[in-house]
Amino acid sequence: MTEQTKSGAATGLRIGRRGLLLGATSLAASRLGMPYIGNAAAAEPIKIGMIWAKTGSIVDQAEYLAQGGMLALEQRNNTLLGRPAEIVWLDEPNPQGAQQSAERLVGEQKVVGMVGGALSSFALAISSVAKKAKIPYVAANAATGDLTGKSCNKYTFRLQPPVDVHARILAPYCATIGKKWYLLTASYAFGQDIKRAFTDYISANGGTVVGADEVPVGTPDYSSFILKIRAAKPDVVIGGIAASDLTTFLKQWNELGMKGKIPFAEISVGNTDLWGVGPEAADGLYTITWWYKNPNNTPEEQAMAAAYEKKYNRPAADKAWMGWLGMKSLLDSIDMAKSTEPGTIVQALENWKYQRGDMDIGYRGFDHQMTSRLLVAGIHPKITDKWDYFDVKAELPKTPDDIAKAFGSQADGACKMDTL
Amino acid sequence: MFDMILSQAVNGLVLGFLYVLIAIGLSIIFGMLGIVNFAHGAFFAIGAYLAFALNKEFGWWAALAAPVLTGLIGAFVEVVLIRHLYGKEPLLGLILTFALALLTEAVLRLIFGGAPVPFAAPKFLAGFVEYGAILITKYRMFVLITTVVILVLFWAFLAYTPYGRIIRAGSRDPEMVGLLGINLPIVFTGVFSIGCLLAGLGGLLAAPLWTITPSMAAGAIMPAFVIVTIGGLGSFLGAIVAGLLVGVTTAMTIQFQPEWAGAAMYILMATILLIRPRGLFGERWERFE
Repeated sequence: MTEQTKSGAATGLRIGRRGLLLGATSLAASRLGMPYIGNAAAAEPIKIGMIWAKTGSIVDQAEYLAQGGMLALEQRNNTLLGRPAEIVWLDEPNPQGAQQSAERLVGEQKVVGMVGGALSSFALAISSVAKKAKIPYVAANAATGDLTGKSCNKYTFRLQPPVDVHARILAPYCATIGKKWYLLTASYAFGQDIKRAFTDYISANGGTVVGADEVPVGTPDYSSFILKIRAAKPDVVIGGIAASDLTTFLKQWNELGMKGKIPFAEISVGNTDLWGVGPEAADGLYTITWWYKNPNNTPEEQAMAAAYEKKYNRPAADKAWMGWLGMKSLLDSIDMAKSTEPGTIVQALENWKYQRGDMDIGYRGFDHQMTSRLLVAGIHPKITDKWDYFDVKAELPKTPDDIAKAFGSQADGACKMDTL
Repeated sequence: MFDMILSQAVNGLVLGFLYVLIAIGLSIIFGMLGIVNFAHGAFFAIGAYLAFALNKEFGWWAALAAPVLTGLIGAFVEVVLIRHLYGKEPLLGLILTFALALLTEAVLRLIFGGAPVPFAAPKFLAGFVEYGAILITKYRMFVLITTVVILVLFWAFLAYTPYGRIIRAGSRDPEMVGLLGINLPIVFTGVFSIGCLLAGLGGLLAAPLWTITPSMAAGAIMPAFVIVTIGGLGSFLGAIVAGLLVGVTTAMTIQFQPEWAGAAMYILMATILLIRPRGLFGERWERFE
């Protein structure tokens, strides 16, 4: 032993008492530290991508959509599968920008799912990334038929009923007012779908289209269009212009003395569009997806609306609900899947159900379209509450059979669903 | 059909005058300071939001103070930011004012929220009048008369007052004006402030017609740039003629080819620039060439 020590001292390998103690302590510390390091890896946050406009013409609606989405995660204490979860929110200034944001979310942020696409063109762009990257995507606001029609894919789910469904519900109301229609629609997918759907309906029901204008997005002055409508003397004007464009139109419609002269109707309108118009100019007949004062709202929706109002000091607009439900469906599905593996989440989304009154809301397997009822609403004759504009007339379609009919069967659609 | 064309032409002229008001401010800022003010639309939005806030708190008449306040904000911005750019690379001015426009939009969203806010014309300006085929609302007539009066007053100010002469001379040769002992920094601040005041006035007048949102600047800035380009950089008369041309062209396109309405003013600009590259009333200025 003595020799060994000597030999060690000679070779410089001698370990003193202090060194030994230090080494042992370090080893013990590293052993103690290992579970902590292990936990840190397990606690790596699960990231959810959110793509709603931060700039551009749809930003007013996008703010509510984003707030609803964030609320859905907050209601789970920002936790998924026992791990912290966070939302990464990127902008969608235009379709190309939406696509780039989706690619960044997938490539850089490694998100396990995405929610977003405030305009149809944005949603189609994000959907193509979702398909290519094989990441589940919930389109919570876009209404163009293509998204669950010819451009459908296994990874894309859509919450908003498509234009055709809204049209099937609103068009019969409009036909009871008169058979001469004027169409004023935006010059992109949403507006063009409306133009086609309402033209088909009135042509098949013995009416005529006395005028049809496609309006550029972001038009600041509608007076020239309104003068044309006035000269054409239609029974009803069918609108297909979105967000702040609709607000501008309604202000000028009132300014030119048209409010109350010729009925105006439009599908899929948001609360914010009317709040910006003001009580003096608000007018029209609409389909809306959700209304914060609807007595048929579920307890969970009422809780969401109360939480939203408490946090943001204003009622939850329909868009807040859409952002919330779209995100909730994705988060629920991740929990159901007990995994962040995309294919498993997609399967869970296909099986996700949400009880609303007498029906289960969910995404259909063959095209990933959510089926639900819509509200038909007019405007209160006298608005006394600055948030309460809608006078809800009906919640349609009434029966499950009618709902299935309104949304169309697999044979009616253009979706050829791919596989995982 | 002739009735309809006449009606659209008159309507287009009203829209054109509103555009002129916004474009004139942009034109004088560029003409005098050499700054391509990309934030001009932001000052238009500031004017609209100030009008909304003042109207909400104190009533419609208080909203008339919005342009003056916008002008004062413009003066502050010139002193703090813009004056550091004079004589430097023009691209710097473009980048700075672009950033300022984005910042303004974000600040407006932070203060007022992203959703549109309601703002209506005063009740005494509600309703419309008809002269045969021509229909014009009382509010648009008010906009038309106000704009014409302001443009005449502004022209008289430039043509007949000493300050106006300094501005005109400064837009040709600022160095020479400086050598004459005139306090150029104050003149520059004044010009930028007046330009912003006119943008704010445009915002106030447009507020009851257009939607007030933080992103509303886009609806004003592009027509303003097109008008300044068509009319000739820095030309007062050019901006007026070009503004009216843009308004009428847009209205006529809506009548006959509505889907081209958004592109009509750009096609007009391209056509005029092909024929006359300096714009309708543009002169050959060494400063900008």
